[in-house]
Amino acid sequence: MDPVFAWIEQTPLSVFIREDLYFFFVVLIFHALGMALLVGGGLLIGLRTAGLAKQAPLHKFRGFFPVMWVGLTLAVISGVLLLISYPAKALTNPVFAFKFVCLIGAGLMVREIARRFFPMAAEGLDLPRSARWFGIATLVLWVAGVTAGKFLPYTHHVLLMS
Amino acid sequence: MDPIIDIPALERFGIETGIFGLMNSKWAWPIAESIHFLGLNLLMCSVGMFDLRLLGVGRGIPVTELHKLVKFGIAGWCMCAITGFLFVMTAPGQYLYNPAFQTKMMLMATAFANMVVFYATTAEALKSTPASELPFTRARLIAFVSLGCWLGVITCGRLITFFRPPYHWCFWCGS
Repeated sequence: MDPVFAWIEQTPLSVFIREDLYFFFVVLIFHALGMALLVGGGLLIGLRTAGLAKQAPLHKFRGFFPVMWVGLTLAVISGVLLLISYPAKALTNPVFAFKFVCLIGAGLMVREIARRFFPMAAEGLDLPRSARWFGIATLVLWVAGVTAGKFLPYTHHVLLMS
Repeated sequence: MDPIIDIPALERFGIETGIFGLMNSKWAWPIAESIHFLGLNLLMCSVGMFDLRLLGVGRGIPVTELHKLVKFGIAGWCMCAITGFLFVMTAPGQYLYNPAFQTKMMLMATAFANMVVFYATTAEALKSTPASELPFTRARLIAFVSLGCWLGVITCGRLITFFRPPYHWCFWCGS
C-alpha cells in the first residue's frame, strides 16, 4: 500500500488540503459539526432505547434520522478529504480501524433498533427486555468510536509516506 | 500589560497544583480531550436534540419527555468545564488571548442567558403545547439561538489551535 499512499499524498488535492492555511480547518470544523449531529442523534436514540424518557414514543425518533443523515454526509465528505490529505497517517493506525468498526457498528445498531422496535412502539406494544441491551450497546459503540477518533492524532506512527 | 488577568499567577497555579505536570504526561491530554468531546456529544444529544425538537424535528415526541434527558447535557457540560479548566490552566496565555477561545466563551455566555430566558418565560407554557404541534415562535427562537450557540462553540473549539500565538486578542489591555 505504501506506493499508493505516497501517490495520493502527491496529488494536488492532497497537497492543497495539507498546506492551505484555511482549508484544513474548514474541513475539521465540518467534520466536528457533522459528527455532532450524527452522534447527537445516535446517542439520543440509544438513551431512549436503553429505557430513558419512556413516555416518548420510540418510533417518533425517526424524525431525527434526517438530522443524522445530514451529519453523516458532512462527516463522510470531510472525513474523505482528511483521509486524502494524510492517507498513511490514518490507514496505518489500528485505532483508525477500531474507530470505523465502532461507528459502523453503532450505525447498524440504530438501523436494527429501527427495524425491530420502532414497529412495536408504533403499535403501542411494550418493548422486550432485550431492547435495553440494544440501546446500551449502541451508546457504548458511539462513545468508543468518538473516543478512538480523538486518539488518532496521538497514536499514529506514520505521518506521511512520501 | 494585562491589568485584569495575571497570566504568570495562573501559570504558577497550574504548576503548583500539579495540573501542568499532569497534562504534560503522555496520555493525559488525549484522555482529557476525549472526555471534553464526550461531554460535547452529551450536550448535543440532549440539549441540541431538544432544540431541534422545538424547531419541529421529531414531532410527536412530547417535549417534557425529551426534557428529561437534559440532565445528560448538564453532566456533559460539567465534563467539558472540568477538562476545559485543565486545558486553560496548562497554558493560560494560549487560551485567554485566543480569538477563538474568547468567542467560544461569549457564545457560552449567550447560551446561558438564553437558557435563563427559556426557563423564566417559555418552559412552563411549552408544557401545554401538544406533542404533534410545532411549538410557538418564542420557543423556536430560543431553540434556534441555543443550537446556534452550541454549534458555534464546537466551531470555535476547533479553531483554537488555528489562532495559536502570535495571535493575541486583549481588548481590555489598553495600548
